[in-house]
This record gives sequence, C-alpha cells and structure tokens, in this order.
Amino acid sequence: MGRMTFVFRRLLLLIPTVLGVTIITFFMIHLIPGDPARTILGIHATPRGIAILHRQWGLNRPLASQYWLFMDRLVHGNLGISLFYNVPVVGLITSHLPPTLWLICYAAVLAIIISVPLAMIAASRKDGVRDHIVRAVPLLGLGMPAFWLALILQTTLAVKFQLFPVSGYGTGIGGHLHSMFLPALVVAIALCPVVIRSLRASMLNVLGADFVTTARAKGVPGSRLFVRHVLRNAVIPAVTVLGINIGFLIGGTLIVEQVFQIPGIGSLMINSIFSRDFPVVQAVALVFGIMVVLVNLLTDVIYASLDPRVRFDR
Amino acid sequence: MRHRSALMTALIAGSALVVIAGCGSGSSPSGTSASSGPVHGGNLIFANPQDAQSMDESTVFDNNSIWILEQITQPLYTVSTNGKGVVPWLATGYTASANKLTYTFTLRPGVKFSTGQTMTSADVKFSLEQTMAAAAGWGYIDSAIKSVDDPTPSTVVINLKYPWAPLLADLSLFANGIVPNNYGGKTAAQFYQAPVGTGPFKWDYWHKGSALKLVKNTYYWQKGLPYLNSVTWTDVPSDNTRQLQVKGGQAQIDQFPSWSTVSTLKATPGVSMDLFNSTETNYLAFNENVKPFQDVHVRRAISLAINRQSIIKAVLFGNGKPANSLFPPQVPYYDPNTPGYQYNLAQAKAQMAQSTVPHGFTTTILIPAGNSDYATIATILQAELKPLGITVNVQTLDPNTANANFQSQKYDMSLTLWTMDIPDPDELATFGLDPKSGAKSFFTSYDNPTVVKDVHAAEQITAPSARQALYNTVQTDAAQDAFMAFLYYSPYPYVTTSNVHGFFVTPLGNYHMQNVWISK
Repeated sequence: MGRMTFVFRRLLLLIPTVLGVTIITFFMIHLIPGDPARTILGIHATPRGIAILHRQWGLNRPLASQYWLFMDRLVHGNLGISLFYNVPVVGLITSHLPPTLWLICYAAVLAIIISVPLAMIAASRKDGVRDHIVRAVPLLGLGMPAFWLALILQTTLAVKFQLFPVSGYGTGIGGHLHSMFLPALVVAIALCPVVIRSLRASMLNVLGADFVTTARAKGVPGSRLFVRHVLRNAVIPAVTVLGINIGFLIGGTLIVEQVFQIPGIGSLMINSIFSRDFPVVQAVALVFGIMVVLVNLLTDVIYASLDPRVRFDR
Repeated sequence: MRHRSALMTALIAGSALVVIAGCGSGSSPSGTSASSGPVHGGNLIFANPQDAQSMDESTVFDNNSIWILEQITQPLYTVSTNGKGVVPWLATGYTASANKLTYTFTLRPGVKFSTGQTMTSADVKFSLEQTMAAAAGWGYIDSAIKSVDDPTPSTVVINLKYPWAPLLADLSLFANGIVPNNYGGKTAAQFYQAPVGTGPFKWDYWHKGSALKLVKNTYYWQKGLPYLNSVTWTDVPSDNTRQLQVKGGQAQIDQFPSWSTVSTLKATPGVSMDLFNSTETNYLAFNENVKPFQDVHVRRAISLAINRQSIIKAVLFGNGKPANSLFPPQVPYYDPNTPGYQYNLAQAKAQMAQSTVPHGFTTTILIPAGNSDYATIATILQAELKPLGITVNVQTLDPNTANANFQSQKYDMSLTLWTMDIPDPDELATFGLDPKSGAKSFFTSYDNPTVVKDVHAAEQITAPSARQALYNTVQTDAAQDAFMAFLYYSPYPYVTTSNVHGFFVTPLGNYHMQNVWISK
C-alpha cells in the first residue's frame, strides 16, 4: 500500500470517530444537570424567562430531534450558535484554536531542543554521573505542578527580570514566540523526562548495534556518529512517545492556558461546560477528536519516513 | 571525545532559541512618578477574572458585561458616588405631575452618539421601549411604565401605570441606556455585536475569551473627557496571573484580587490596593419548603449560632463587616438599628429548645464546586451548628447545577449573595421578600403578608420619610423572622498600579473610566 492510500484510509476512519465523539458528547452534556438559560439569567431567572430562552434555542425539543438538527447542521458545515456569546461557534473555534496549536507546537520544539542534547549526554556515559543527573533532574519537571512552575517562572523571568511578558499570546510571529515562551517551556518541561528516557534507552540500544561498532572501526568521528547514525535510529521510538503525549496535550493544556491567559481551546471547552454552552462543547469535542486522529496519523507517517523498514500496510 | 563538541553545539542551539525568544518585544516597567494633574493619552489594561458575556443591555445580567457596557451607553440618570441616589446624566432634570403618573424629562443639549449623530427623544423612546419589551431580560424593572412619548426632540414624557417611587433609580439602570433609534438601521443582534452609545468610549473589538477593547469617543459630551485613548478588558481567570500582570506592568488594574493577598498588596510598592464600599451581602438561605425550616425558632437558632467575625476572618481575612439586615449599608433606607441576629450561643440553644426539633436534626448545605470561600463557610457552619445538635452535610455540586437546584428550591440550606443594580431597595425587597415574585422570596418561600404589604406600599409612596419608616419595619420584621441568616457585607477589592489615578468604584460596582488617567 502506498503512503497516500494509507493516509486516505486513516482519514476515512475519521468519519466513525467523529460520529462516536458527537454521540457521546451530545448525550453526556445533556445528561449533566444544569441549564444554560439559568447561567445567562443568573439569579434573575424566572420560569417565563427560562422558557423563552429554551424556545429560542430549541432546547424545548426532544433530545433526539436536537441531535438530528445538530448533525444536519454539521454536514452543512454549520456548528451552530454559542448560547453564551450568541455568535457562530465556528468563529469561536477558529479564534481559540491557533493559540493552543502554537502552544503545543512550541512546547514540542522546546521539548526536542532540551531532550535531544540531554539524552545524548546521558547515553554517552552510561551509568556515569552525568547519566544519573540527566535521568534524575528532569523527573522534577514531571513532578512539579504546572501552575507552580508557571508561577515561579512568571515571578522571576517576567516580573523580576522582565525578560518575558507575565502572560498573554502576543501578536505576530515574533510576539507569539516571545509571549508564549514561558507557557511553552512549562509544557515542555513536563514532556521532557519521558522523551529523554525514551531517547536515552534507544540510543544505548543503538550504540551496542553492529553497525555502530563498524562505523567506529571505520573511524567515523564521534559527533557524526552520534548525529547521523545513533540519533537517527534512536529517535524513532521517541517520535512515538512524543506523538502520544501531544495527543494528550490537546485539550490538556488548560491549566497552562489559564495561568498564562492564553485564549486557547482548552479554556473555551471548560468555560463552555460550566455555562452549559452545548453547541460549543460539542464543537470543541469534535475538534479534539479530529486533532487526536490527525496527530496519530502524522506520528505514523513520520515514523515510517524515518524508518524505511516500517510499511504502510500494517 | 569529538562527539562532545557536537553535544555542545546542540546545547548552544537550544540556548540560542531561549535567548532569541527572550529578546523579543520586551515589556517595560510602568512608570510610577506622580503628575501635577490629569494628563491625556495612554492605553489602560484592565485585568478581569472572567470574560464579558453579552453587550445586549436589555437582556444581560452579568456584572462584568454591565460594567463595560456602561462605558459605551448611558442612561438619563446615573448613580451618585455614594450609591444612595442619582444625578442627572443624559437628562438635565424632570417635572412630575401632581398625581405622580406623568414625568417629563428634559434632555441634555449637545449629546451625540459616537457616530456623530445627535441624540434626541426618539432615541430615548426607542431605547426604553426595547427594555420594557424584554420579557426574558430587564423588562420587569420598567414594569411600572405604561408608555413613553417624545413630544419634542429634547423632551421625553414617561407615563406610569401607578405612582412609582423608584422611577429615577430604575432609569439609572444600565439597561435603560440610550441607543440610536431603530438601532441605527440594524437588527438588535447586529447592533449588539458592536454597540453604539453616547458614552466616553466606543467599540473597537471583542476577541471572545481573550480581550475587549474600547477607544476614546471623540464626540463625547463632557468636554476634555475621557483622558485615556483606550481601555482593554482582558480575561485573566487566575488570581496570581492578574496580580503578577499588575506588578509586572502588563496590566494597570486587577479586578478582585484574592482576599488572602490584600494585606500584602497594601504594603507592596508600585501598586495601590483599594477596598471600595459595595452592596455585596452574603446570606445563608433556608428553604421553608423543607422541614424543619418552617420553624422560626430553628432559623433563629442557626442565625444566632453563627459567629460572623470568624467567617469574615477566615474568608475575607478581616476585610468585611457582619450583616445585620437584608439591606446593605450602602442602600438608601438601610436601617443600622435593624435587629439582625448576631452570635450568641446561649440564646441559640434557648431558641432550639423552643423549636419542634429541640434535640437537633441532620441537614445539608448546598455549595457550588470551586468556590473556596463557600467551602470554608460551610466547614465553619458544620462546626458552629454542632452544639445545637445539628449535623450539617455539605453537598458540593458544579456551579450550574448548584444554581439550578437553589432556584428550583431543591436544597435545605444554601449560601447566596446579592449586589444592588439600582440605588433603591425596591428591587431587593421584592426579590427577597415577596413569595409571589419570580424569585419566591430569594428562593426560600418565606411568606409574611405584613412584610409583603409594606414592601409594595413603599413602592408607591414618594415621600422619603414615609418610605424610610416602611423600610425600617420591613427590615426589622424580616430580621426577626430570620428567613435568611444575614452573614456579612463585603467590599470590592481592586489593585491599580500607582500611576493610575481617578479610578473609583461605586457601591453598585460600576465605575466611570472617563475620569481615569495615567501619569507619565
């Protein structure tokens, strides 16, 4: 099977995935007690006011009918209107998705930049002092609560030394790189221990391989040996680990988004659940589902590109 | 050993990105030097704990939306700085007919919308009629109005169904703000995506869940105002982040810092910590549809067993006052001598002994998840009601469900609060004490026909002394019936950077950004 056929088949799998996500999300959010009309009207809610809003939003119809209407709109590319903001949901998604994507991609890049050299340092002297240090210290990152680490970075690098803004998303590519550095670093620090350990283990494996011994015997310089032979072969399992973790990060960056005031899709999801903004919750869940499938697909494609032994028909 | 140099290269590359990122458009600290007088210019960032919800003045109930909207649209009257009266705003004055059924208002000359169009009585008539028609919104606040006429471009006549004492206070509500006639040719939905008004600021943008920006209205009727070029309200849910933004100069105002940080912030150089008088009053509500809360002795016993100072110390870190009345002190006709029950365990036990459950009972208190203040109060109440033999279980539900259960009266006891919308007690009195109102006496089903009669009598008597006498009786009766335990009055905490001047919050929570300026 060719690469394109593989990608096409995996994309086709999106359809049942999306359908499953819509069914589960739709009925679960409606199972939870609570009422968007009461959120909007607050303490001033009256039975008449609630009934007017229910009629206006179609919430007085049977659940099945509401689901059918949602799916009918969906196939026409319409995700509905936010009950809370009274604006099209598509607009909310398109404005909240880029900050989250920026955060995840930036964090992934930082995680690679931090992890690769550290894994190389650790693998170059197995069980040596630096190996132990590299294996132990990043674990602190895994154990540190994100909000606490964020607070420390904000207090020192942003307030004291004023190297970065305390929070925000910034404008333009330079602004995003600058403003999102601290939040991306917080996410990356949590990612690094897993990637470093995976990469180190793979490198040690590869270092013991015959072709490395042969390369050494042929006099390949250390740096070239590590970068061109060891790293390239060792990076394959790490790509999978990173891909799976990025899948988790989609929608899991909520705390970082909240602390750093990033108007991302995680924050939108949580706020919409609290306010029972049904159309937004359904749409965001849909986007999460699609993104997780796409990230997994991308991971498989990269994996296969790095390792020619992997075939697309598996 | 040569691979070491490759490792160093990799480390250097990684470090380079950090440095490049750090050398971007760096923020600079805000200046703190005071100036001799107001200066024009500057862009202020106002960090809010939550985003606005809607800019539709006739239907929005969310305070954050309201306080922003008030910078765009303005009513005929506005609340005075002490929160107890009104001052002319887009009207200059009025005359009332002898039977108090017709009020004729003169409009302020030279008022223009931010589009440059002059405001006339047709705009006022249209605006009031839109709010009157908002059945799921603020329509009830104008329920005494029969019709609105616009006999001349500068005169508006309001005809009432019956004499209505709170009329001016009702007209000062943001929902009665003036918008262009017929929404300037747009639909209501289109108009409220970018509303137009006569206020000091006009619409720029709203990135939902992120920031809402208003810019200076150059047609503003108060010459020389506003001072600021723009105000941007940012959505910053984290208390810590808002505080750090102000300390780091990224924002100039932090709305509602955490109570635990108030004393520290008072001593922090470069910022100013203000506690503005507010009308926020916190209560413990008893559901009288559930036994034994129909028993006044049970309600009194609980009210007497609560040590309000301990709650204020634990929740507000000492920055509040025990409540003695349904009304807060910043409301007109508040009676400081109202005999609201205060902590007295001996009297509490005596009341319990007279009740239908002298040996105690088991009950629940409903609180919304994520509200640490309410969780603390619930824990305190568990301990304080134990000596009466009352076992309190805490029921924590997500905020939406907790609110729904409270309003549907599916609870035993619940914590709740009130903030005034208008400078008149009528709205709170009707909401809290009339079981036939939509709120069923603050969702307690409390029903005292004498109180209800007095509440409605006070609506139609315009003489202040007569109203005071009625409201004194209402407050006393409600306190003695202990239909809710009045817990505490809380101020509004705000942090501003030291270079921000003229920022003031009225007891109703609204602020006039037109008076705010930033020193260089």
